[in-house]
Amino acid sequence: MMVGLEVHQQLATERKMYCDCPTNYQDVPPNTNVCPICTGMPGSKPLSPNEKAVDAAIELALMLGCKVVVDKPTYIQRKHYDYPDLPSGYQRTSLPIAVDGELQGVRIREVHLEEDPGQYDPTVGSVDFNRSGVPLVEIVTEPDMRSPEDARRFLRQLIRVLEFTGKVRPEAGGAMRTDVNISLEGGARVEVKNINSVKGAYKALKFEITRQKAKLGRGEAVVRETRAYLESQMITTSMRLKEMEEDYRYIPDPDIFPLVIDDAKVQKIREQMVEPPHLREQRLVEHYGIQQAAANVIVSERKFADLFEEVAKEVDPKLAAMWFRTKLKKVLNYMKLSAAAIKFTPKQLITLLQMIQHNKVTPEQGELVLRELVKKPADPKELVQRLGLERIEWGDLELAVKEAIRRNQKAVKDYLAGRKEALNFIAGKVMELTGGRADPRKILKLLRAELLKKS
Amino acid sequence: MGEVTKAKLDQLRSGELSPVENVRRALERISKLNPKINAFIEVNNGAVAQAEALERKLKRGKRAGKLAGLAIGIKSNINVNGLRATCASRTLEDYVAAYDAEVVKRVLAEDGIIIGVNNMDEFACGSSGETSAFGVTDNPAAPGRIPGGSSSGGGAAIASGMCDLCLGTDTGGSIRNPASHCGVVGVKPTYGLVPRQGLIDLGMSLEQIGPIASDVYGAALLLEVIAGKNLNESVMLDVPKVSYVDKLDGADIKGMKIGISPQFAEITDLAVMDVIDKSIETLRDLGAEIVNVELPHIEEAMPAYYLIVSVEFFSATRKFDGRKYGKRIEDVCGDEVLRRILRGRYISQKEYRGKYYQRALQVRTIIRRELMAALEKVDVIVGPTVPKLPHKLGTKLTPMEMYAYDYLTIPANLAGICGGVVKAGEVDGVPVGMQVQGKVLGEEQVLRVMRAFEAVS
Amino acid sequence: MAEERQKEIERSAEEIVESFVKAAEGLPSEREMYYSQEAYNVVRPDGKPSSSEERTKFRKRFIKIMPAKDEDGNLRVEVAKWVK
Repeated sequence: MMVGLEVHQQLATERKMYCDCPTNYQDVPPNTNVCPICTGMPGSKPLSPNEKAVDAAIELALMLGCKVVVDKPTYIQRKHYDYPDLPSGYQRTSLPIAVDGELQGVRIREVHLEEDPGQYDPTVGSVDFNRSGVPLVEIVTEPDMRSPEDARRFLRQLIRVLEFTGKVRPEAGGAMRTDVNISLEGGARVEVKNINSVKGAYKALKFEITRQKAKLGRGEAVVRETRAYLESQMITTSMRLKEMEEDYRYIPDPDIFPLVIDDAKVQKIREQMVEPPHLREQRLVEHYGIQQAAANVIVSERKFADLFEEVAKEVDPKLAAMWFRTKLKKVLNYMKLSAAAIKFTPKQLITLLQMIQHNKVTPEQGELVLRELVKKPADPKELVQRLGLERIEWGDLELAVKEAIRRNQKAVKDYLAGRKEALNFIAGKVMELTGGRADPRKILKLLRAELLKKS
Repeated sequence: MGEVTKAKLDQLRSGELSPVENVRRALERISKLNPKINAFIEVNNGAVAQAEALERKLKRGKRAGKLAGLAIGIKSNINVNGLRATCASRTLEDYVAAYDAEVVKRVLAEDGIIIGVNNMDEFACGSSGETSAFGVTDNPAAPGRIPGGSSSGGGAAIASGMCDLCLGTDTGGSIRNPASHCGVVGVKPTYGLVPRQGLIDLGMSLEQIGPIASDVYGAALLLEVIAGKNLNESVMLDVPKVSYVDKLDGADIKGMKIGISPQFAEITDLAVMDVIDKSIETLRDLGAEIVNVELPHIEEAMPAYYLIVSVEFFSATRKFDGRKYGKRIEDVCGDEVLRRILRGRYISQKEYRGKYYQRALQVRTIIRRELMAALEKVDVIVGPTVPKLPHKLGTKLTPMEMYAYDYLTIPANLAGICGGVVKAGEVDGVPVGMQVQGKVLGEEQVLRVMRAFEAVS
Repeated sequence: MAEERQKEIERSAEEIVESFVKAAEGLPSEREMYYSQEAYNVVRPDGKPSSSEERTKFRKRFIKIMPAKDEDGNLRVEVAKWVK
């Protein structure tokens, strides 16, 4: 089985690709963000390409490890076909701006620039051109995936990488669309269009496999065709479009000059772009010796990873990684905060983690301080004092243990009679007496020792 | 000779003639002559109101634009907001333009009054003025003969005095050809000098909008108004606006090098060439140096052009699917339009494009190189505009015979250089135009030669 | 009838193509000239979009000339052939 994807991702720009209409097509009534250019009025001519879109496409290609096509004219071509959502009867699509990339073992064949067509509702027969002309980048993979799970995994990773750049439109239904190509052994390649989600891609592939296997099993041929995915029913149906299979008759668009990307531009973009998350993840594992799973969580947000690397300069990276992966992530999730919204300083977090590292506070105490730190940043040393969390003196702990034993004779009897859970009960009382300042592990250790004396 | 436009402008500026009066006269002439000549598809009902608004503006002491009060015809493939841009085709017969083309904006900004929409060959696919869905256009300078095309209405309107100036378009000769047949002045600007935003395409990499006028001054004035970079389109030359009329006074061509190619005589009918030869003598008498230039592959330009323009036209017409406006073009268009669509569709296929489309673009490179090389040696190239006299209306011509009219005008479109036409003489009362071709952005020299010639004709 | 006409037009369309092939026979190979003047990297910065007043005016005219429309301003066209 061979599965390949053609992913169409909208870019985050304010203006459309070839005109100055706004790109917020979902916020306005039908046919509002339109002009003679994006509606294909007779005589309309495109404005020159949106520079931000071009630069974003180059950046995305670099993120995917592609080689950018330099010092050669990259023509914007006209791709001709007949469909209601295409106002001019052709789509403006560039030659590849980059080739030969790779993500998670899947080869990226090429990346190029396109414009979005309008929105056509095929069941009702209506077209809204608000979306027509919004800049798109198309990412074409080689058919390196071998299962719907592969495809799903790849798409999730791809989305993460794309969103990391901040140059794509946030996923809000339709910002990313995928065409999937699938061929089973003994059958021709089938293309499925009209997929708007990762789940859709997965379901479409699963359906196709079932459908194609059934056909081949009956001795029928699986022909080369284009099918549409129907989301509500989770099936694919033949589009039976002879026109769509016809020659696109590509010509360079006479109304748009070609782009020529040079090395200097690629360098400039590379310098100011963020490190791709999948590459950063690897680097964290190798450089800091932390676990893959922890690195994966750390790179989930660029600012989170930045904070980690800042902290790891002065704190044991493995400890820091553990804290980032579990407790810090937990607190942020609980408070519904993104890493970008963190108000405490790296120095403050470093101070706290150093205190934990050097056993100045217990991990449980550390978590309490962390919660305060996130809520209202302050010097952790101050917070420890304010919360009354200073390490309890050994002597005081011994006294508290003895006191708890004295006050809870029934529990002591139960424990000595073999009821292990009674120990926790007494430990809880010790916690109360010490105002939570003692390390529970130490409490238990002392309790056991004391109670052993009694038995 | 050649004082008509200036005289009219003087009258308008002095108040001797009011804009409203000028427009009324034009409307009268149109209503009287157009039924027979058919130079206009539609008359602008708002023209008088526009003229009245202009008069009020001038009374308030506002500065008069360069075209103040002049009645101007616009070819039917250029969008004029509120008027129908039909391209003389049933495809768009009800298409009311939803916006103004950039050139129209510029004309209005200089207080030109748009008097109406000029007839043309359907979608500019013609050189005779016979293929309009709204009837053929007659040649006022040679009644019963074709006015030429595809800006047939513009040429005829100027020749019959229906209006002061016209805007036409020229993809393979469509301004120069009717200018020659109708005995008027026409200019195809350097490619990329005049904005095409709002022009309904025939051949995107070949065409330009340009002026048709009764004299060189009028053409230069209108050219000056429409030329210059437009930020709202992509493929344009990055040049500042210049004045062309300023340099026309006392146009002097002493010492100018004028090229003439022996290939012209090989292609052109004797009677036509005779008129041109006499014109060359006139230029020599005016002090110009006549230099021989070789254009060995000039004849190959015509078939190469028809392949290129067919592909571009096929692409340009994909939007006429009948869904957003108008009708599906293949359902209602005329023969020549369909011919170009089918040809374009055929030769742009993957398996044929190398052999036909791309090969034609290679020949284009050769033609361009030859012309540029010739223009290195001279300031302008002068010669006939069309190889034969305009035929009588109703004569059946094969497509190849029709294409043959374009031999001498096509090279300038392929190369992107400028070219103008001024009346050189007549053959049995039928006008013959002399073509002056110049370098890229060489409009000044071209207009100078035209004006110097016009002044003594 | 329409088919006959189309066939005839197709046939006559080919004449100039054949004429071209003959004419180009002896000529050398060259770079293709797609543009009269070639410029590169003519791009436009992103920024504040167009004003809503102009677009409102255009929207009115656009909707007015639509052959079929609905009350929200969508263009009405054919239903897709593959829809069940």
